[in-house]
Amino acid sequence: MTKHTQAYVAALSPTQRRIAQLGVLFVPIVTQVTDILRVGSLAFYYAFKKPIRWREVVQQSFFIGNRSLAFVMIVLGFLGMILIFQSGFQAKRIVGDLQGMGALYLQLLFREFAPTVTALMLATRVGTGIAAEIGSMVVTEQVDALRMNNAEPIQYLVVPRLIASIVMTFVLSCVALCVAFGTGMFVANTVFEVNVATFYNTSLLEWGDLIIFSLKALAYGITIPIIASQAGLSAFGGSEGVGTATTMAVVNASLAVTILDFVLSGVGYIFFFS
Amino acid sequence: MQALSPLKLLSRFGASFMEVAQDVGGMAVLLYKVIRCFFPPKLDGMETWRNLYKVGVKSAPIVVVTALLTGAIMVIQSGALVAQFDAFGLLGWGAGFATLREVGPIMIGLMFSGRVGANNTAELGTMKVTDQIDALRALAIDPITYLLVPRFIAIVLMMFLLTIVGDLTALVGGAYTGQVLLGVSPSLFASSVIEYIKLEDLFNGLFKAFTFGVAIAVVSSHYGMTTSGGAVGVGRSVNNSVVASAVLIFVLDYFITSILH
Repeated sequence: MTKHTQAYVAALSPTQRRIAQLGVLFVPIVTQVTDILRVGSLAFYYAFKKPIRWREVVQQSFFIGNRSLAFVMIVLGFLGMILIFQSGFQAKRIVGDLQGMGALYLQLLFREFAPTVTALMLATRVGTGIAAEIGSMVVTEQVDALRMNNAEPIQYLVVPRLIASIVMTFVLSCVALCVAFGTGMFVANTVFEVNVATFYNTSLLEWGDLIIFSLKALAYGITIPIIASQAGLSAFGGSEGVGTATTMAVVNASLAVTILDFVLSGVGYIFFFS
Repeated sequence: MQALSPLKLLSRFGASFMEVAQDVGGMAVLLYKVIRCFFPPKLDGMETWRNLYKVGVKSAPIVVVTALLTGAIMVIQSGALVAQFDAFGLLGWGAGFATLREVGPIMIGLMFSGRVGANNTAELGTMKVTDQIDALRALAIDPITYLLVPRFIAIVLMMFLLTIVGDLTALVGGAYTGQVLLGVSPSLFASSVIEYIKLEDLFNGLFKAFTFGVAIAVVSSHYGMTTSGGAVGVGRSVNNSVVASAVLIFVLDYFITSILH
């Protein structure tokens, strides 16, 4: 709380102060959300304006895509095994028949797990990466140097990351889908003795599943770099500030992914699956 | 990129292997040192109290929000299936089982690693690069007992407790979504949960939460204490810490799931 607001609060009556205390809780949320929207809309404005630094886009794609590939594959591989383990034992106990498991699993991967878990992983890996990089540039006054040279930081730094992330999130989600389905098939085959040909069953897939998959990947790909960049750009004060900015980036990005997942799943359910 | 000769590729593979081995070894030594401090218990009471507040109370809102949404998402995803078979009595079982046993601990663990683990690494890393940890040593204060043990206790205990809170809110979120989206009354949802879900499912999830808490505490402390190179180094440490925590959460989850069956 700044000195100005403290003086303001001191002048209030007890009832007013209680209301003010309630409002103070929401002030940081509102400021952060508006700042994220500001960075996001500026990034979109500049994304449709020349010049775009395509070389930087390629470099960022390498960082976001290739450097996260092993991480995403390990996590989604284990996730696939876990999911089949859990659902397999339950299905055996309650239904007693594992023939339909592969089709259901594939559908669930499309709708939920492949894009969302990939995005959560990218929020940690890429979100912290972007926030740490931009945050270090802010506290070492490199961003101010950019402004002095009449380069808009959002155009120069955020737009390449945004474009790279949109492409790479989609690509990594596809890779994640294949890896998770592959490891799931492996567990189903070795532990539950489900035939590979039986497990690979696309009969339940609809166009709606593909649309939801793409929509989710697109939404996450847009959100993560914008939130991380906003966290990085709002860093201040040495190495401590960089640490705070990276923490803020992970938390905000993961939370945004969860909220978007909820909204898009709800939309998908109402439009396609009910 | 230049062409890679086989020898160069091998040496690069070896270098990254050595890096991973160094980190794993460092974490094991750290865990040993922290555990040794419990026999006999040596820790700073005030610092522990402060950390319990900072880790637990300050993360409660984000855990509650995540858990509410997670429960809701689980109901939405199982909704189509439940409606198809007209098995509304099984909704509470499906969503509850998945949340308590699997998705709840994982989502809360990931959020916790983002909120608390990253914060822990950033704090310790800042202290490291500004030589505050060396200053502690110069004052004959052991950084392990003064800094790490309180954080370790706070993270493990609060992850465990917040998972209990999170499980409950996830079920509430699931029940509410079931009513709005599928017209399943909360009482039917609750009776389905009570009938089909065993206490064992809850304990399984809580055991996972405990393990994830230990993993997050050790990983974040290790990367914080090995930070070097100013502000850039702190950012890099936080990045490594959250990535390693996420991988460990999923790997440990797999092994716990496959062993406990």
